[in-house]
Amino acid sequence: MTVALALAVVGVGSLLLRVLPLLGAARIPDRLALHATRAGVSVLAATTVRTVLLHGDATVAGSPITAPVLATLAVGLGLWLAYRGRSVLLSSAAGLSSYVVLAAGFAAVT
Amino acid sequence: MDMFDVLVAQSRQHEHARAAHHPNRFMAHEVRIAARTGSEPTYNTTRARARPLPARWNDVLDGAGAVLPAVLAFAPLALMVGAAISASDNRLAALLSTWTIHGGAAQLVTLDVLAEGSGWIAAAMAGLLIQIRLSAYSTSMVRDWRTAPLGLRVLAGLLLSDAPWALAQSRSTGRRSFYLGAGLALFLAWPAMVTLGTAAGDVVGGIAAAALVPALVLGCTVVTQLRERPLLVAAGAAGLSAGVLALAPAGMVLVGAAVVGMVAGVVADRVRVRTDEGAVS
Repeated sequence: MTVALALAVVGVGSLLLRVLPLLGAARIPDRLALHATRAGVSVLAATTVRTVLLHGDATVAGSPITAPVLATLAVGLGLWLAYRGRSVLLSSAAGLSSYVVLAAGFAAVT
Repeated sequence: MDMFDVLVAQSRQHEHARAAHHPNRFMAHEVRIAARTGSEPTYNTTRARARPLPARWNDVLDGAGAVLPAVLAFAPLALMVGAAISASDNRLAALLSTWTIHGGAAQLVTLDVLAEGSGWIAAAMAGLLIQIRLSAYSTSMVRDWRTAPLGLRVLAGLLLSDAPWALAQSRSTGRRSFYLGAGLALFLAWPAMVTLGTAAGDVVGGIAAAALVPALVLGCTVVTQLRERPLLVAAGAAGLSAGVLALAPAGMVLVGAAVVGMVAGVVADRVRVRTDEGAVS
């Protein structure tokens, strides 16, 4: 019962968070929408940074910061390619494959 | 002309510049021609006439195609959510909530907190805290959706998640149809992948690289917007705050980053307007 209750609260809450601003679109000023756009981009930037910093990889030996450092390099490469105008698919694939290569290389050396 | 008019005019210029310099961007050709000839871009009329399908449907298909990398990227997360659902005490409720929550991280955190035995209130709060960012996305969309019929606005809200929002932000024309195409594709693909995960179990939990993929794809989707100075400042400040708060619960980190990013964006606006005024005088 508690599982259903918690999931129902999160589900209904999520729906309201998504739909309510659009239902009241006429009353929301452009200035607020501009700030909300920046908040949205900020959240995605924070998600990327947090994922990289908390990244763990059991196959990579060494200190606990090795995996986050490798992840930073790999994600940084992907972001740089995307910023330079490469497609999302290509940039992501380059970032991911560079992580796999770096992690394998590091595991082989240590 | 007040500060906001200046910002809107500059934002429009940035949008054209961004489209003109991005080889993958829709209408880049028309924008480049317009820049060369000094005229306004004519994409609303000429492209629509030349197409076999109405522009709106092409935009929907473009959106559905553009979200495919994100669908692939979210597959490992969907399988992890599916595995958590199959381990849940109430599998049916957990599976049905996939459609209403429509967010892997929130669903996973809610199920994890419930599995730890922390109670339904703690689980619901943890899940909702992660979902609060959706209200920022939704609010940012009102400029495009203000004139849409009520049913379409409700549909847009139902389909809202990170990837369609981020993709639509990078789009300069046909944004509503493009968003609907991307959102519908993900809305159908996500529950299908989660359902597959309930049968397959935790097959990706041991693959460390898989955990990087959703953040990498979302980052690559929005990074081109950072050519605009206030957005760059906002994202930089939010990234710093996420670094400082990295060990805090995910929901707190995201809410904190949203606030820090908004404030940094406002400060960047004020600095830019003052600089522009100083240059004029």
